[in-house]
Amino acid sequence: MERIVGIDLGTTNSLIAYVDDAGPQVIADNETGQKTLPSIVSFLPNDRVVVGREAGELARTQPLSTIRSVKRFMGLGMEHVSAEDRQRYRFVDDQGDTSSLVRFAIHDRQVTPPEVSAVILRALRDRAEAALQEEVRKVVITVPAYFNDSQRQATKDAGKLAGLEVIRLLNEPTAASLAYGLNTKEEGLIAVYDFGGGTFDVSILRLHTGIFEVLSTNGNTRLGGDDIDQSIAERFLLTELAEELRHDPQVLNSALRATEKAKQVLSDQDETVLNLAVPDKGVQLSRRLSRHEMEAAVDEIVARTLEPCRQALKDAGLETQDIEEVVLVGGSTRMPLVRQRVGEFFGRTPLTDIDPDEVVALGAAVQADTLSGRRRDMLLLDVVPLSLGIETMGGVMSHLIERNTTIPASVKEMFTTAVDDQTAVAVHVLQGERELVQDCRSLARFSIPIEPKPAGVPRVEVTFMIDANGILNVSATDLRTGLERSLEVKPSYGLTDEEVERLLEESIDFAEEDIEQRLLIEARTEADTVLHAADKALRQNAAFLQEGEEEQIDQVVQKVREACAGEDYDLIRDLTEELSQVTTPFAQRIMDSSIQEALGEKQLSDL
Amino acid sequence: MPTVVRCWRCQDEHIPQVFCPACEALQPLPPDIDYFTVFGLARDPVLDEQALANTYYDLSRQLHPDLHQTGTAEEQEASLQNTAVLNRAYRTLRDPVQRGQYWLELNGEQLGKENNKVPPDLALLVFEVQEQLAAVREAQSAGTDDARAGLKSELTQVWDDLDDRMQGLQQKLAANFSKWRQADDASDLLSGLKRVLSEMAYLRTLTRDVEKALSIF
Repeated sequence: MERIVGIDLGTTNSLIAYVDDAGPQVIADNETGQKTLPSIVSFLPNDRVVVGREAGELARTQPLSTIRSVKRFMGLGMEHVSAEDRQRYRFVDDQGDTSSLVRFAIHDRQVTPPEVSAVILRALRDRAEAALQEEVRKVVITVPAYFNDSQRQATKDAGKLAGLEVIRLLNEPTAASLAYGLNTKEEGLIAVYDFGGGTFDVSILRLHTGIFEVLSTNGNTRLGGDDIDQSIAERFLLTELAEELRHDPQVLNSALRATEKAKQVLSDQDETVLNLAVPDKGVQLSRRLSRHEMEAAVDEIVARTLEPCRQALKDAGLETQDIEEVVLVGGSTRMPLVRQRVGEFFGRTPLTDIDPDEVVALGAAVQADTLSGRRRDMLLLDVVPLSLGIETMGGVMSHLIERNTTIPASVKEMFTTAVDDQTAVAVHVLQGERELVQDCRSLARFSIPIEPKPAGVPRVEVTFMIDANGILNVSATDLRTGLERSLEVKPSYGLTDEEVERLLEESIDFAEEDIEQRLLIEARTEADTVLHAADKALRQNAAFLQEGEEEQIDQVVQKVREACAGEDYDLIRDLTEELSQVTTPFAQRIMDSSIQEALGEKQLSDL
Repeated sequence: MPTVVRCWRCQDEHIPQVFCPACEALQPLPPDIDYFTVFGLARDPVLDEQALANTYYDLSRQLHPDLHQTGTAEEQEASLQNTAVLNRAYRTLRDPVQRGQYWLELNGEQLGKENNKVPPDLALLVFEVQEQLAAVREAQSAGTDDARAGLKSELTQVWDDLDDRMQGLQQKLAANFSKWRQADDASDLLSGLKRVLSEMAYLRTLTRDVEKALSIF
């Protein structure tokens, strides 16, 4: 039996897992031992790419060609790109009317979100092949339960571009319930609250002797830890900066990283220091941040996850007290505030036994095991998250398949002609809950070929099938002849089959070889800038030094200089950071003094 | 009269069933199969909902595409199509209103156009609710916060009333179904059943409208 592995293609981190005799395991990187692969891809000018932690390092200096959180863009059109997105990346805007699919403009290339995701998938596959010592081709990839058809299709395309056979797209909360179900084997009603880096999902499930039946699901595919970081960065860091610096991609990137770090620290501590240092732009900021301040700032975002919970319960026909167990999934559920709010909402302490970063990948591996035919004791009955329909007269959406219908689901619809000798009927497929077509997501258009006959005579039956991946397939049969009619379905926000083929041929290679060198050069450059600034401040503002401070600074300066002579860029980076911190009180004193007004700016490097 | 079908694998001829009695290959269900038959039930609108759920789980365990991933293309296709039929059948039969309507259709009766007419017993209620919904729409554009809060609690009350009424109808429906099953001549009971079902269908639409209005507060 060919092995199938499970992949959690996350907004912030991605993981790959498989099942062996001991149960589901996440596969760690052979060299570094890391289980998570940061979902960051950096495109180099020479058509090479770098993925993971190294790409994250490159983001500091090359924010425009380094894509983070690409999952937020999967299956979207340019009209969904926000003002914040535009500050961080460059997009290809001029696409005429052929396709409005999101395309990043990187160096002189256009790159679509599935291509970026494919780079991550390939890196995960390589990791699995190295660990398992066998070829890995078949995968289960998880997606947010609330992903619509276009977003799912885009994920499938990413798999194809990575040379993988995507056996199944699996909803993340459902995957998590599988991983938990293995441990508890309990019967009953559970809620899975999945708050990740970029998406939020909630699913209500009934567990029944190995059957995991999803009763309802809800969520927001553009709400996650990224929004929390953005909000903290804006409130506590960016407001301190001059207008033009606030929109600088490099400053923005550093501010978001600093915020992310502070947020993580505040999950365990009551207070931390927010440090923002971008020597290139002369930015050096540092401020205390308490957990209380942060929570007050992001409470509104956390509160936005509760409405989908309410809706999911209602759709399942349940009240909060019916829920016997609440499972937390996703990195954002590490925040004490999130745990508290979820606990209050459901009136019970949520389960957090399994690492919220790993649980989805583990569940994907379990499902992969079932799909490979090795396991028959558990079965998922999942649902479609959004209603599917077609456009009818007057721009109104007519529902064909209601949200929360168990998949696979199919419905047959009869079409005929309105005028004599009509040769085709156009169909516009939509997804969403609103009544008007303009408020729903356009999924695809197709046209049913008809033999010319008097109006109303042709009878063509179209079958809309949502498969086990939650993806729509349509087929048509001419009821007069009994013959199947082929349909050409044009996705509204997706790659065409030809485009996928072309991209497969042109697929970009990996480059690991010069990355070490590049990172070293960058670390040295950054160290130089900070050393220079410290040196200048010591010479010109020695009066502000406190007892013993100069010696302390000198010591670190010495260490940085020594490290720069070596090749360990991590060490250089860490010591540069240390120098930055050790000089912060000194810099603040200079600022706080009467010369503050005269200087106007608050950066050490300007002094 | 049960039709005979032929197994795609071993060519055995048998009456339609999920697995071929000769070679055990998964078979596609006939496209015109009725939902009661899918569950191996008589065409009876009165059924044990718990037993229905258990049968659904059992059939899912046999049919679901996840468990036929390693099968032939024919088996995978049959599994997909059959599970889609099973899911639709379960969705229809587990809900008393949809089950009743489906059963009427099988018996050549339809709520059809009557569905759009307001059932006489509901006329007054419908009128009141529509007025309140109109007031909500007005308050949305012009009203004060106080007025909106007042409307919200009124609407919540309306929803509760509709819900109570729905529960009453459900009991009535169950009673009607049982009577229908015991009666020798069911024709006079049919019109009663239809009335209850159309009231329920209408009430459901009304409840949905109220919920939609409530969701904007």
